[in-house]
Amino acid sequence: MINPYEKLLLENKAWATEQVQNDPEFFKRLSHLQTPQFLWIGCSDSRVPADKITGTQPGEIFVHRNIANMVVHTDLNLLSVLEYAVVYLKVSHVIVCGHYGCGGVKAAMGNHSLGIINKWLRNIKDIYRMHKDEVDAFTNEEDRTNKLVELNVMEQVMNLAKTSIIQKSWKTDQHPHLHGWVYGLDNGIIKPVCEMEAGSHIDPLYEYDNL
Amino acid sequence: MKKYFSSLGSDIPSSIVVFLVAIPLCLGIAVASGLNEFSGIIGGIVGGIIVGMISGSQLSVSGPAAGLTAIVAAAVLKLPAVEAFFLAVVIAGVIQVIMGFLKMGIIGDYIPNSVIKGMLAAIGIILILKQIPHLVGYDADFEGDEAFVQLTGENTFSSLVNSLNHLTPLACLIGIVGILILIVYETKWVKQQKIFQLLSGPLLVVIIGVLINSLLTENENVLIAKNAHLVNIPVAANANEFFSFFKFPDWKYLTNANVWITAITLALVASLETLLGIEAVDKLDTVKRVTPPNRELMAQGAGNMVSGFLGGLPLTSVIVRSSANVNAGAKTKMSTIFHGFLILICVAFVPNLLNLIPKAALAAILVFTGYKLAKISLFNEYYKKGWDQFMPFVITIIAIVFTDLLKGVIIGIITGLFFIIRSNFRTAIFYIQDGNNHLVRLRKDVSFFIKPILKSKLESIPANSNLIIDLSKAEFIDKDVMETINDFSKHAHLKNIHVSVNKSTYNQSHLQEDPIVISPDDMAH
Repeated sequence: MINPYEKLLLENKAWATEQVQNDPEFFKRLSHLQTPQFLWIGCSDSRVPADKITGTQPGEIFVHRNIANMVVHTDLNLLSVLEYAVVYLKVSHVIVCGHYGCGGVKAAMGNHSLGIINKWLRNIKDIYRMHKDEVDAFTNEEDRTNKLVELNVMEQVMNLAKTSIIQKSWKTDQHPHLHGWVYGLDNGIIKPVCEMEAGSHIDPLYEYDNL
Repeated sequence: MKKYFSSLGSDIPSSIVVFLVAIPLCLGIAVASGLNEFSGIIGGIVGGIIVGMISGSQLSVSGPAAGLTAIVAAAVLKLPAVEAFFLAVVIAGVIQVIMGFLKMGIIGDYIPNSVIKGMLAAIGIILILKQIPHLVGYDADFEGDEAFVQLTGENTFSSLVNSLNHLTPLACLIGIVGILILIVYETKWVKQQKIFQLLSGPLLVVIIGVLINSLLTENENVLIAKNAHLVNIPVAANANEFFSFFKFPDWKYLTNANVWITAITLALVASLETLLGIEAVDKLDTVKRVTPPNRELMAQGAGNMVSGFLGGLPLTSVIVRSSANVNAGAKTKMSTIFHGFLILICVAFVPNLLNLIPKAALAAILVFTGYKLAKISLFNEYYKKGWDQFMPFVITIIAIVFTDLLKGVIIGIITGLFFIIRSNFRTAIFYIQDGNNHLVRLRKDVSFFIKPILKSKLESIPANSNLIIDLSKAEFIDKDVMETINDFSKHAHLKNIHVSVNKSTYNQSHLQEDPIVISPDDMAH
């Protein structure tokens, strides 16, 4: 019986070989530089692979994934990725992509303690609290979760717009364009739920005037 | 309409070049076909004016074709009278129009690019080899011959060697000066000068050729160019004699079976050569315009009907004249239409003027056209494209040079198909090994022909190893191939090979399997 991790290595070797067969210059070209147009902020869920569902090739999409595709302003990891993508790679689009049936969102709506992840999910509880009427209008639990999934994505796009990184880039370079998408696990289709063009205005309270 | 007038500046000079090149070709092909030279001239006129006007191609030139000479010569001998032959040409035209309506022009799209490029290169090589004897003043073979074995009993190479024993110094001089002029015209500096754009290279070659010939032949002390080395158009003493050159089809032969056989043969071969011709010219077009093939068949059919009515040779789209047209800078079909009118006017009014042109000057133009068709860079380009493209390309060239256009192209297409199928086989199966683990992946359509390759691959997997057979990338798998996989899965344990088959649950062709096959899900446990 083939060892599961050895299968990954075998499949990798097959992939690399086929890639070279189709395009002998493939790795030579990519080893020098990457020029992705997109930054993808998605969920860690194994069923939502960013490049597969968008048909993007290596070199085309810069990816950050965490539980429930959150943009948290104290998350040094995300902020580093965002700044590198926007300032140095100069991506023209930042996409926050959630997915229906998200386990993180479901957990945030319940009262079961999961340990350290509680802290992370409390951000979603805050969103639930702000939109409680809207979410609880649905009687079905699945519909409630999915509504919160959409609201969460919109909130994270708003969180991006609140950062000085995005605001500064909007002012100086007129990019990136922000998108909020939700992926359907049951049909594989991405539904766009919101977008913000470069230079959009948010609550003046969050807009910096000295960038 | 506007575009036709705005490019007259390029189309008129190029039409003159094509006209000059066409005259000896029309005459040569007519003589080789066993008909009066005038039949060739009529073919040239109709090919330019009638086909030019109806055709959707901007650069293709039509006229009497070398590829038809063998068929025409045989038919003329077999039929009771030339009037019966011209009737066959008319009928062939009708058949071509019907073929056009039946949309049979699509056949041309099935010819691989490598074969068409090979055909162009082959015609280039033939032009160089066949025109060198004319260039040095050895005119035994007829102008425009494209077959390896010539009517004179010589072949392309023996003729080339023979020509060295029959050098005519004056012809050599005209030919070499002509080629030098064309080489100089290719330089960047000349291309930038306005004055040289008005007087194209090939035209200058003809003018200089005429001048050298007439100046030096007047002087008794230099070697004299014989008359055979000049263009030779039949000259009528008066209008009556001019019209006596015309022969017309005779309808009483309509019941003659041979007329119909000839008509069908002509229609098929001429259509095929035309489709090859327009595919080739479209490749040469710098702005890559596409000729509608069915309209082309109708245009050729109309042309053959008219040519047959007037006692002219059957027509096709001809690559040599077309590429001379492209090289001379033609932009629209006004060039080919004008070339038709020029033949008409010159033959009717000033045939003597044309008879001053030395053949060596025209040979210089054709040798250079040949060089442009068979450039070394083209061979390089195909070599880099890999074996699958290079072999059909080279084999087409060799086959055409040593047989003739049609046979050569057919050999080329067969070679092309072989390589297409072969490369399909090779990409249908993928194998890789990592230590003790092996992966066999089937891709795309897995036909019956893969079975032996797959079988030997599977049997070559060493004992005591793990094997994944991945079918998930295959759209179709032949039943026999599935059986081979199932058989192997059954006896693999004898060599202690652990097999897992990765398949798509919903692909019907993957489902003809045995319960023993293990899916990847089982593997994970």
